[in-house]
Amino acid sequence: MDLLAQILVNGVLLGGLYAVMALGLALIWGVLNIVNLAHGAFIMLGGYLSWHLYNYLGIDPFLGLPITAVVMFGLGYVLQRGMLNLIVRAPMFNTLLITFGLEVVLTYLAQLAFSADFRTINPSYAGSSIALGPVVVPVARLMAFGVAVALTVGMWLFLLHSRLGRAIRATAQNLVAARLYGVEPRHLYAITFGIGIGLAGAAGGLYGTVSQIDPYIGATLTAKSFAIAIIGGLDNPLGVLVGGLVLGIIESLTVLYVGATFGDVASFGVLVLVLIFRPSGLLGKTA
Amino acid sequence: MKRLHWILLAAGLIVLAAVPWFGSDVLVQFGINALLLAVLAQGWNIIGGYTGYASFGNSVFYGLGSYGVAIAMVQWELPFAVGMAFGVVLAVAFAFLLGLPVLRLKGHYFAIATLALAQVMIAIVSNLSIAGQNIGLVLPPLNDDRLFYELSLALLVAATATVFWLTRSRFGFGLFAIRENEEGAAVMGVNTTLYKVLAFALSGVFSALAGGIHAYWITFLDPASAFDISLNVKMIIMAVFGGPGTVLGPVLGAFVLSSVSELLSSEITSFAGLFFGLVVVVAVIFMPRGVADLMRRFRRTGWRYFVENLKAHRI
Repeated sequence: MDLLAQILVNGVLLGGLYAVMALGLALIWGVLNIVNLAHGAFIMLGGYLSWHLYNYLGIDPFLGLPITAVVMFGLGYVLQRGMLNLIVRAPMFNTLLITFGLEVVLTYLAQLAFSADFRTINPSYAGSSIALGPVVVPVARLMAFGVAVALTVGMWLFLLHSRLGRAIRATAQNLVAARLYGVEPRHLYAITFGIGIGLAGAAGGLYGTVSQIDPYIGATLTAKSFAIAIIGGLDNPLGVLVGGLVLGIIESLTVLYVGATFGDVASFGVLVLVLIFRPSGLLGKTA
Repeated sequence: MKRLHWILLAAGLIVLAAVPWFGSDVLVQFGINALLLAVLAQGWNIIGGYTGYASFGNSVFYGLGSYGVAIAMVQWELPFAVGMAFGVVLAVAFAFLLGLPVLRLKGHYFAIATLALAQVMIAIVSNLSIAGQNIGLVLPPLNDDRLFYELSLALLVAATATVFWLTRSRFGFGLFAIRENEEGAAVMGVNTTLYKVLAFALSGVFSALAGGIHAYWITFLDPASAFDISLNVKMIIMAVFGGPGTVLGPVLGAFVLSSVSELLSSEITSFAGLFFGLVVVVAVIFMPRGVADLMRRFRRTGWRYFVENLKAHRI
């Protein structure tokens, strides 16, 4: 029973992190109708950025998150404005391909710049943990979880109440009408993509504090983010949070009861099952 | 096609078939790789180019074919041909079992579901003792590159002939109809589920055979390399670069990109990965319908061809 409680706590903590990973993917998908296959690669870049900030400048990974997010936002803005805006109205297959090409390029450049070695961000408090009765909660994971929830809720409030957030939602619903109300789509698309990539960067920084980073983690993280976006639906960050928690718990349970190598199988199995039975997501509206 | 085209094609084929008799060992080895990649691109063309389902899981068929041959030859000590047949059976079974649910999905959903399948297969095969778990299997060596070359060429001819048959058969027209408008095709009496699964299986058979030849040639395989997703990237990029939904486009794309990537990697080590990524980005923006379409239209429109493509989908 204690073991189960521990596993559930681990799953929830992991799930919060997963939610931030998926948040950017879901936002870009929902608004731009681009499934960004390079999303995981951007998470990876964010992780490396945080790692460098910590190792060379001594900036704490959690305090450094805003820097990582802003830099990644800029990268996302430029990419959308300079490249993806050119093909944003192309058939789905072309947008899939181009982001796929982007993922290959980013992975390759990361391998050149950072080598294929594993990196972990290890601040002084990385080893410490809090005991809650029989359950042990690692401090770094708890902090990552807190930031993740704060980001998700912040994103929800931003989309719901801010002027820019409303413009983004309006564009997602009807581009032509949004244009008539004065939305400049090139800029707005770039802003949206930038926010999505900024979130991916922040997720990467958090990921680096709880797990290992190498240039090849991208593809798996993209697939997981996609699974969560599918479970949670595209229209609501809180749904994505639930999706992340569901996936985190399922993965932790699978690792415990089936075997460590089956963790990824579980998440992709869930993905395929959800796609087949509820293509609009567990929480999404039925199409 | 005009008679001249047929003569050129036959001449090209004869030259290709003669390569092992006058080419160096390096050239033959490069040829085997290029031919097998062309088979994969052509196999992908059936489901991705003609049926319009962007499969990111064709490398699963390739892996199943590799493991079919390896398991038959290493664990059961059966001949190579039986192993190939076993690989095909595995691929067809997979296409039907997973194709039925997965092919109900459309667009992004289908692409990502097939992407996930490859990941699942790595994990499953790594836990099967008959497949050597994550250590892999070592096949009995056969030092006959000439044989492997001609086998690969024969397979490519078979795959291309099949695609050519698609362009003039009832089955093929059914697939085009599905690509253009699936509901419309169903209304017109095309059994869309059956057609899609058959196209998936057909695509899988060629990928599996290519995997089988490659496994016996390389004599070693492990789960990560057999179900490598980057192979799937390559086949899609080659098909798209050459021209998806054309008979010779994917073959052309595979030959051109294999050659350029080979030249680059001998000049600058491991530049090939970056090259493939850049090619796909540039190709999607400037020539989304591939080299085949470029050659057809470039004569009439000239450089405006690229500008028009650029203007077509931007915001």
